[in-house]
Amino acid sequence: MSERPAIFPAAHFVLVFLLGLLLHGSGVNAQNFDFNRLDKVIHSYSVIVDMTIEISFGTHTNEQEERLLGTIVTEDGLVIFDGSSLTQEHVFSSFAGFSVKTTPTGIKITTFDDKTYDAEYVGTDRFSKLGFARIVSPEEVTFTPVRFATGHQFQVGSWVALYMLLPEFVNPPLAADVGMISAMLETPEKFPLTVGYSVLELASVIFDDELTPVGVLGSMMDPSIAQADAGGMTESFGEYDVALLGVITGERLEKLIADPPQRGKEDRAWLGITLQALTKDIADFLEIDAPGGIIVNDVVRSSPAEKAGLKVGDVIYEINAQPIGVNREERLPIFQRRIAQMGPGTSVEFSVFRPGDQKTDTLKLFAVLDKAPLAPSEAPEYENKPLEFTVRDLVLADYIRYNQDEENFRGVVVSRLQRGGRAIVGGLQIGDVVQRVGSLPISSIDDMEAAMKRIEADRPGEAIFFIWRNNKTMFINVKTGWE
Amino acid sequence: MVRMTMLLWLLVVVSASAQTPISSLQQEIYDARDRVLPALVHIQPVIKDYRTGELKKQAVVGSGVIFHPDGYLVTNFHVAGKAERIICTLYDKEQVPALYIGGDPPTDIAVLKLQLDDYTGHIAIAALGNSDSVQVGQHVLAMGSPFSLSRTVSAGVVSTKDRFFSSEYRLPSGERTGHYNLWIQTDAAINPGNSGGPLVDLSGRVIGINSRATFLANNLGFAIPINIVKEVTASILEGGKVSRSWIGVQCQALQELEDYFGAQRNSGVLIASVDPGSPAERNYLKAGDIILAVDGDAVSARFVEELPRFYKKIASYAPGSEITLRVLRDENEYEFKLTTEELGDLQGEDFECADWGLTVKAITQQMQIENQLEDTLGVYVMGVKQVGAADIGGIHPGDIIISVNKMPVQGFADFIRTYNDLSAAATPRVLLAVNRNGAIRLAVLNVDSSQEGIVHE
Repeated sequence: MSERPAIFPAAHFVLVFLLGLLLHGSGVNAQNFDFNRLDKVIHSYSVIVDMTIEISFGTHTNEQEERLLGTIVTEDGLVIFDGSSLTQEHVFSSFAGFSVKTTPTGIKITTFDDKTYDAEYVGTDRFSKLGFARIVSPEEVTFTPVRFATGHQFQVGSWVALYMLLPEFVNPPLAADVGMISAMLETPEKFPLTVGYSVLELASVIFDDELTPVGVLGSMMDPSIAQADAGGMTESFGEYDVALLGVITGERLEKLIADPPQRGKEDRAWLGITLQALTKDIADFLEIDAPGGIIVNDVVRSSPAEKAGLKVGDVIYEINAQPIGVNREERLPIFQRRIAQMGPGTSVEFSVFRPGDQKTDTLKLFAVLDKAPLAPSEAPEYENKPLEFTVRDLVLADYIRYNQDEENFRGVVVSRLQRGGRAIVGGLQIGDVVQRVGSLPISSIDDMEAAMKRIEADRPGEAIFFIWRNNKTMFINVKTGWE
Repeated sequence: MVRMTMLLWLLVVVSASAQTPISSLQQEIYDARDRVLPALVHIQPVIKDYRTGELKKQAVVGSGVIFHPDGYLVTNFHVAGKAERIICTLYDKEQVPALYIGGDPPTDIAVLKLQLDDYTGHIAIAALGNSDSVQVGQHVLAMGSPFSLSRTVSAGVVSTKDRFFSSEYRLPSGERTGHYNLWIQTDAAINPGNSGGPLVDLSGRVIGINSRATFLANNLGFAIPINIVKEVTASILEGGKVSRSWIGVQCQALQELEDYFGAQRNSGVLIASVDPGSPAERNYLKAGDIILAVDGDAVSARFVEELPRFYKKIASYAPGSEITLRVLRDENEYEFKLTTEELGDLQGEDFECADWGLTVKAITQQMQIENQLEDTLGVYVMGVKQVGAADIGGIHPGDIIISVNKMPVQGFADFIRTYNDLSAAATPRVLLAVNRNGAIRLAVLNVDSSQEGIVHE
């Protein structure tokens, strides 16, 4: 613990390269997994998760069905599964700049003794992409959960067993496989998304050679962090075609299961900078002797970073006296994740180089991390049914994207429009920032709701919206149809 | 059998028509053709394109029409505005070089001058008509070089004479264009290569310069009215460019908003947006104000088609003029006095930093406003060459270079000087600081390295 303080709760990741098919084919028989025994165990806590997901994207709403392998992790029926589809909203909202909502509208969980239960969606962990749902049953049922071992010593070359869910048209539903720990990554460089990848089954339980469950397969990226933190950094994914998945270890799972991520209530910590990797080239040029670091490109007003005294151009090279191994842009998520996982309220010491005209100063700065601001997809919304539009509050990411000042730029963002609806016909577009309705200034969805209530009471023939779009303002007349 | 019958029938028709006397319409078309076609010019400029991060030269084809006995011809800015050299082919198929005299991106007009020293033929001039008297439905001919097919004549009618295009349209070189005038729409076939060619009435007068067409549509072509062209070419011949006043307001048609603003029908121009740092902003004009009169002349834009007239009215003041706007605000009328400024170039000059693998533009005031910048210092990164030093160093198009080797950039000339000095000294590494969306990033360019970027297969 002294070597690796609590701020790195999951710094050790283990990389699994599943070579199962290859091994079967080549006749290698390095391991003697007792799959007969494992088969009974796996069926006692494995479940099939059938989920309907509603995806709202601009003027479109689609439904999508998913059938996933799940695992019961508590006696009262908490189930983990591959939640990557449910975190798409973060990926898309980072790119497109407008809100994508993924909402599980119905979850059915079927155990291998053929009982089907309804389940409530709890939330999805952004880092591992593990989804959580809780079985809802009219009568009290006690389930047999998997119990993950903690403290397992993973080693490169050691064999693991795991299962994957086969398509519905084959029976039995589960197929066993073996794989090998192929690398120990302290600083994962790139983890592409693996949505729909069939062999590497996200969230499937990993067993060691004594058939002890020691973790689950998971991803380690959170593409939304960059945006929520300060913008940019969404382009570094999907470069590799090879699916690389890490093992989410028993320790991390223990924490997640004890306190599962709840939709809308995640408390990621946040520093409030736009950041850049200290590459060797830049370090050499600035004559900074550090193996990596974070260059501060911008400091958000009133953020923990500003309060700590961080300035544009500073180079953070240590957190809590631990070096930052970020020397490529692709490694920025390591830093972002570290900060995010520390949790709000955590005090952090940053060692900072401040390059000056004559010399470079070395400083120690202290920050108390805040709760991360909401991502666009998390911002509270207001839907107006008569005029067929939905708006959400402005969030930090909007101010950054629009290059606007939080003090002077007010409004709500049009997040959804009914196709052929009154608002869209009037000329409102997704992404417009509504700043006034009639003569009423709008700074929040509450203002919007109040303004629309007044309009609905007065029932005028038209509602005039004053909006901001592409750095210009304009008036929009939405015909209400009430006259 | 059917085909045979049709062929026979066609032959009958053709031979029959060959025997009938030429209709007066046909004769008019011939006459109009003969008056303008000799002044038609096939233009082959080699244009400079900086968009990919390096200076690329590209041969393009357009059309033009001679309007002055000294060999001046008019074409589109998007044909010849960025030309390095221009070869023109005249009606008699003789080739002569031409000089670029000047251009005007907001109206997409450019003027060239034929270099006639070695030319022994006769220079024909097209007569310019009056686009104000154009009638919808009137017969017109379009002449030019569609897809390089020179001396092509197509016929149609004026489909509409007051087509409005908003300033959202941009030229390939980036300038917003087309909102100082309405457009003549025609169904005479206009294709790529027709750009800059004349639209001609049946009296053989040029009534417009063909400039745009809608692709994947059937015969939706658009010409700049010749009365606009006359004004623009006169300015260009006088001073190489068109000088415009600017007050920094974007306006919106009042239709559908009159009730809300308590405005009288057909009265006033609604301000929708005020540019930061503009004379309008400094004089406290704001969105929602309705301009009723400019220097006592009533102005109005109930429909979008009336907006160009207002924009042009403001633009036609000499920069630095003091103007008085009568404005309706909250049902009261106020007078605002403001001093117009020169609109200036929409896009800045281009420059290629070949060693660094990028191209830059000078930042004009209009670019500053559009890109939400604090000043016009720095230079705008237009393009980044793939796998060049800037690309590997992480520079993106749209970045603003604010310092080079820690020395702040004090404008375009200063930047070019710095670049040339570093280039002459074969400086192997350069540190750039760029402003990207308000954040300041650093980038090291390894200039001397011939290394390729790391490619992950």
